[in-house]
Amino acid sequence: MELSLSGNALKTFTRSVTCLARVGTELVLVASPSKLELHTLNSSRSAYQTVSFHPGSFDIYILSSSSSSIRCSVLLKSLCSVLRTPAAALDRIAVALPSPDAAKLQCTLHCLSGAKKTYWITCNVDPDVQQLSLDRRRFPSSLIVRPRDLARLLANFQSSLQEITIIATETSAGPSDSRDEIGRKAVELRSYIDPTKDNSDATLHTQLWIDPAEEFFQYTHTGDPVDVTFGVKELKAFLAFCEGCEVNIHIFFEKAGEPILMAPRFGFDDASDSDFDATLVLATMLVSQLNAGSSTEQPSVPPVPQLERSRAANASPVSDNPSNHTKIWSELSGSAAKSSDTIRGKQVQDEGNPSSSIPNDQQTPNVINVPRVPAAQEDTLDTQQPMETDDRDKTQDRADMHGNPYSQHHLSNWVGAVDDEDDDDDEELCVQSTPHYYD
Amino acid sequence: MSSYAGMGGDAPDLVCQLDCAQGMVDALSSVRWKRHQDAVVEISEHGVVLIVEESGCLQAKVYLKRELFLVYEYTAEGRPRFGLSLGLFVDCLNTFSTPGHAPVIEIRYPGPDMQLLLKTVDSPDACIYAEIRTRIPDTISWDYNFQPTGNVHATFTVRSAVLKEAVDDLEWPGSSIQIVLQPDPPSVILRGEGHGDLQVEFPYYANTELLIAFQCDHRVSYRYKYKFLRATTSHIPNSILKDNRGSKVTIGRGGMLKIQHLVSVKRAGGQHSHGDTSGGIQQLSRIAYIEFFVKPEEDENPVNDT
Repeated sequence: MELSLSGNALKTFTRSVTCLARVGTELVLVASPSKLELHTLNSSRSAYQTVSFHPGSFDIYILSSSSSSIRCSVLLKSLCSVLRTPAAALDRIAVALPSPDAAKLQCTLHCLSGAKKTYWITCNVDPDVQQLSLDRRRFPSSLIVRPRDLARLLANFQSSLQEITIIATETSAGPSDSRDEIGRKAVELRSYIDPTKDNSDATLHTQLWIDPAEEFFQYTHTGDPVDVTFGVKELKAFLAFCEGCEVNIHIFFEKAGEPILMAPRFGFDDASDSDFDATLVLATMLVSQLNAGSSTEQPSVPPVPQLERSRAANASPVSDNPSNHTKIWSELSGSAAKSSDTIRGKQVQDEGNPSSSIPNDQQTPNVINVPRVPAAQEDTLDTQQPMETDDRDKTQDRADMHGNPYSQHHLSNWVGAVDDEDDDDDEELCVQSTPHYYD
Repeated sequence: MSSYAGMGGDAPDLVCQLDCAQGMVDALSSVRWKRHQDAVVEISEHGVVLIVEESGCLQAKVYLKRELFLVYEYTAEGRPRFGLSLGLFVDCLNTFSTPGHAPVIEIRYPGPDMQLLLKTVDSPDACIYAEIRTRIPDTISWDYNFQPTGNVHATFTVRSAVLKEAVDDLEWPGSSIQIVLQPDPPSVILRGEGHGDLQVEFPYYANTELLIAFQCDHRVSYRYKYKFLRATTSHIPNSILKDNRGSKVTIGRGGMLKIQHLVSVKRAGGQHSHGDTSGGIQQLSRIAYIEFFVKPEEDENPVNDT
């Protein structure tokens, strides 16, 4: 195998390797007559990336055995040391593998200064070639975002954040007056902080509600709201890659637990004449961050807390002005009534009413105890649901404050703390931990 | 002045004045590969030489010719030598030079208790004064009789930045670095082998800018410890790399490696610096020479023969 790269293709190659190195540790090169593919899979097998190059982008592309493909595997760290010389100082890079089973991959850097650097990188003996093919068209939901816009959005999150949740809801077709402001913000980005880690005090929680029409190039999502929680590190790596290549990012997703796929989006028509393509697939958390029982109603919830909170902040902690809430919630549930399970959803909303994040609060402990198994979580939620419903039936009016036996004491915690509306993310976390220790 | 009168009337061995502390700091920093490092200073009628050594395998010398000093009064006999902490000396000079202002520093040796005395002399209103304790040098630095391997020295000159980049790159394979000079094709090869291999090649004909000079009549090849090789380039200040000067590398008899850098000791923002033609010669002379000597690795089977 003999390859030679220069110019823009070289820059793309360098960027690809940098990005791959942030996703995995080991690189598998697969050279076939139709394309050169670079694959990596991280050790926990939760992230997979592949970048493919069209032979036309190479100055030289010779495969010794034309029939079958050639594979070899090297450490990405080694390849990064090779590419330490900045691409701007390079004339071209030649990559050669003397024989398909050669022990070392040879990379020769021809610098503009005239110096020639030849690296021999030891090939891994047992290349663990993983090919993951997902059909992008299979994903029901997707969004296209400019790297700069996404970077700006991500800048709102703590840089040490490890996982992020995207909650996608249907963009409201006919906005009623009350939904006019908030209803358009159909997408939420939310920091996900592992509740089992005892770092809740030091972390910053961020929630962003986004109007897809404003921030995204394109947004497709219909039907029930979904959420996906995945790693930020890989997202940022891919973001940097796309930014360098001056292409938009296409993010495909389905629902919690299903993988999320990212790919560069070339121009308007996603032109196939581009000489490279890339795919990043990330596993998402099994557990949905939506209010599991009322997941269908969640779309309206994200915008609401803002409203609620501002009212709550003004109101006295105890008399949380239930009539006000009731009004708002009925409006919301009315507009969201297209969901399948209207009654149940409404009840959950009622329960969530006094402090719209409470449903989250009380369910998160379940999430903690049940290690990310959706089935188990469903069970707990189901058992919980009827109780709430019963309760609600008995004391419908007081349901706001006292209705939920599960949330009673943390509810008061929460209400007392609501005074500072900016803190609500943090409070959410505090409340979460309370039942965990007291139960 | 009165303090020196107490020395039994003897004038100090050396009184010199310096108006380019920053250049001096640059030159001395180049040989400071450890934080705490002892140096031996030797004074002569020609100037000051500062010598740093490590484990008998690496030696660095900074030559500060008397022309670099505004005033250079040498009265001693027999080239006095003293040891001092290089780090202390560099930090001290740094303290004297404030950004945008290059003070004139007077350096005297010895003080009443054999100290090195530094003070600013350009301001009548204020004076910064420092004393650095000196030591009696406990070892005699090896003075290598550097001789050519053949009829001529095997030598090449390459821009300092390129040499530094190559040595930095060689960190990846690390451990032991082979340096080869060969006449046919005329080229220089630096090679390291470890968990991966790297060969950096400077072909003479590739680019006139690359190898400024090359001289070699037969193939020469020796191995050197990476950490010593790194010490010769890693601390060259950026200002010197930007100067685009060449570094001269020579392999002498027995494989002794000599690397020479030139560090300009210009006055920062001084009158001399802006493109005057008359200052050309003066600027040329305002150069500190830095020499590194690296002993080759003991090798049972010299790669020389291959």
